[in-house]
Amino acid sequence: MRLEIGNFHVKDIVFGDTTKYENGVLTINKQEALDFVKEDEHITEADIVIAKPGDNIRIVPVKEAIEPRTRVDKDAPVFPGVTGELTPVGNGVTHALKGCSVLAVGMTYGSFGDGLIDMSGDGAKYTLFSELLNVCLVVDTDEEFERHEQQKKNRALRWGAHRLAEYLGATVKKLEAEEKEVFELPAMTKRSAEVSALPSVVYVMQPQSQMEESGYNDLVYGWDMNHVVPTLMHPNEILDGAMISGSFMPCSSKWSTYDFMNNPTIKRIYSEHGKTLNFLGVIMSNLNVSLEQKNRSAQFVAQIATSIGADGAILAEEGYGNPDADFIACFAALEDAGVKTVGMTNECTGRDGQSQPLVTLDVKADAIVSCGNVSQLIKLPPMETVVGNLEALAKHGLSGGWEDDEVLGSSVKEDGSIIMENNSMFCGDRVSGWSTKQMKEF
Amino acid sequence: MKKAILYINQFFAGIGGEDKADHEPEIREGLVGPAMALNAALNGAEVTHTIICGDNFMGSNEDEAVKRILGFLEDKDMDIFFAGPAFQAGRYGNACGVISKAVKAKFDIEAISCMHEENPGVLMFKKDLYIFPGGKSAAAMRKDMGKMAGLGDKVLAGETDLRAEVEGFYPRGVRHQVWREDAKPASDRAVEMLLKKLAGEKFETELPIPEVDRVPIAAPIQDMTQARIALVTTGGIVPIDNPDRIQSASATRWGRYDISAMDRLEGGVYKTIHAGFDPAAADADPNVVTPVDSLKVYEKEGKIGKVDDFFYSTVGTGTTEAEASRMAQEMIVKMEESHVTGIIMTST
Repeated sequence: MRLEIGNFHVKDIVFGDTTKYENGVLTINKQEALDFVKEDEHITEADIVIAKPGDNIRIVPVKEAIEPRTRVDKDAPVFPGVTGELTPVGNGVTHALKGCSVLAVGMTYGSFGDGLIDMSGDGAKYTLFSELLNVCLVVDTDEEFERHEQQKKNRALRWGAHRLAEYLGATVKKLEAEEKEVFELPAMTKRSAEVSALPSVVYVMQPQSQMEESGYNDLVYGWDMNHVVPTLMHPNEILDGAMISGSFMPCSSKWSTYDFMNNPTIKRIYSEHGKTLNFLGVIMSNLNVSLEQKNRSAQFVAQIATSIGADGAILAEEGYGNPDADFIACFAALEDAGVKTVGMTNECTGRDGQSQPLVTLDVKADAIVSCGNVSQLIKLPPMETVVGNLEALAKHGLSGGWEDDEVLGSSVKEDGSIIMENNSMFCGDRVSGWSTKQMKEF
Repeated sequence: MKKAILYINQFFAGIGGEDKADHEPEIREGLVGPAMALNAALNGAEVTHTIICGDNFMGSNEDEAVKRILGFLEDKDMDIFFAGPAFQAGRYGNACGVISKAVKAKFDIEAISCMHEENPGVLMFKKDLYIFPGGKSAAAMRKDMGKMAGLGDKVLAGETDLRAEVEGFYPRGVRHQVWREDAKPASDRAVEMLLKKLAGEKFETELPIPEVDRVPIAAPIQDMTQARIALVTTGGIVPIDNPDRIQSASATRWGRYDISAMDRLEGGVYKTIHAGFDPAAADADPNVVTPVDSLKVYEKEGKIGKVDDFFYSTVGTGTTEAEASRMAQEMIVKMEESHVTGIIMTST
């Protein structure tokens, strides 16, 4: 499989008469873009706000992030099974607007898995998206059935953002890319003797899939990850739109669709391929509720890894708490099968740092990269502009916010300053590989 | 100038060794023994008082010792508390931990100590206070006190970014996120760790997982009529005067008591010193925790070969795995001498 991603490095985003990309500037015809988004009749109100690094802007509740892209060599959706028909991805030419993302932001309502992004100040160190040019799609919908639910599917808003990312990506469909990245991995049995002699490794991903009801979980080609057993995927598929983020997990643990499309661990293993490692591929697992489901998935992962001859694995979980059991079970199953494994996760050590870091522990999990503490308490000053609704942090059940606490009061103060747990920093723990945070003993 | 107070034992106060270990707690104004070294090493505070307590007094009368010392401190100006260094002295290490933990809880100030890694006080108290790895003997006094004072100065200066691997104290099980200075992303760290693991090289996990010492279940005894059975309890049943001065919690001591000439443990002769449950029932009838009576009946009926001449006792509440394991190893030596073939463990 050979994927060529043609990159366009966006330096600025402005509103203008024509939606186009020229000399590093993405111009958006706001009305046209909103009309396109509102083709979904469930979107009742919509606005687009541009938020740039350094702006005095706080964005909340953020539900999803997507990199604008388009397919060059075929007329096919960027996200098959989601924004269009089911088609294979990972092979061919895709164009991408780099350095920017489309954010799905609730105009009024938040939910459990939503996050917060500060575009400047101390809060900007907590998420990758503070460093990007963000096109915020701010929306209200008619999804009355979940209006007052803590868990929301946020379907109209998330799908709207996926479609807006395609709309913006289309500006570079016919342009010459400024830079090309090529991801090519031949079939496992068709590799040179030199490459095959290197230690063979797999990347095992455990995307979030704990909700039994459809509509909340991560999707693979539009299919609910709760309804799969682990399967083998080509890494190019992950980088090219096969995976869609869900609407469930406390936000610092979340992998947005942007994170899937740019997964730094896949890219890093690719960079070692043929030099120090033989990158076999990705085993796409999941996270489950019942113990039997957890063990079944672990068993499948170990079986696939050994069947394809993996010597080593990097295992990453999109979650904490209950999913730690899936993570540790899978880690132990791989080690028991003789596959040397490194895990990537965050921890929940509590505000005082003294709680057991993972729900379950096993000495077999002897190599872990640990990216953050979900429960760290964060205080931030007010920002001049709020995109979305600041009150949502306190009132709509975000995992890192609260309406009242006998000691700390509300998460949102009258002056607009906030106190929250890292839990609600948008994709803040960056377990997909970006994290420059590490857990340390104090 | 901020103020510090130091806790030391009777030996380092110059009062005496083992024969003076029952020395009652006292507080003296100014510097006694190691307090001089601490005062010289501290930049941010002066040592105003020294507390002295015999190791045995603390070990045997912990509640009373803690109560009296907290009483001494109630009207004192104090910004930080130090204890030791305790080197390899186990009872001294325990005393430093007990009093530091109590002072910290009552006055909400930091406490710092220093002990050799084999001192049981390390495992018992490293989560409760800052403890530095220290020397085996008083030869390391100046060096150990220097470590304690160095961290003390940082604490007094209001520094909060005090990491175990940088400062050198034993990790306390307090984990927080930090931004790496080299900004190395997790993807790089994972791949580099994997390359080392695959190559069989040494690697350092970012989340060390404590080893749990699981003991396999023993094979069944084939013929109980020939077996010699010993009773072991962590329920704290002891002769009424607690001759081995086993602690009521976080035990480091155990005892064994001759039952060869009796059919049961009588209340009033035996009692429990366990602080983790209501003792009324066990004091009235110690056999409910340590069933000597039933086993003696089994012995008479020939169901078991012999009840060992001794039962073994300690206290389980708050006792660390390391201490429990050490005590078991010590008990096993005695049991092997008397050819015990089976053990019944009772808790509470």
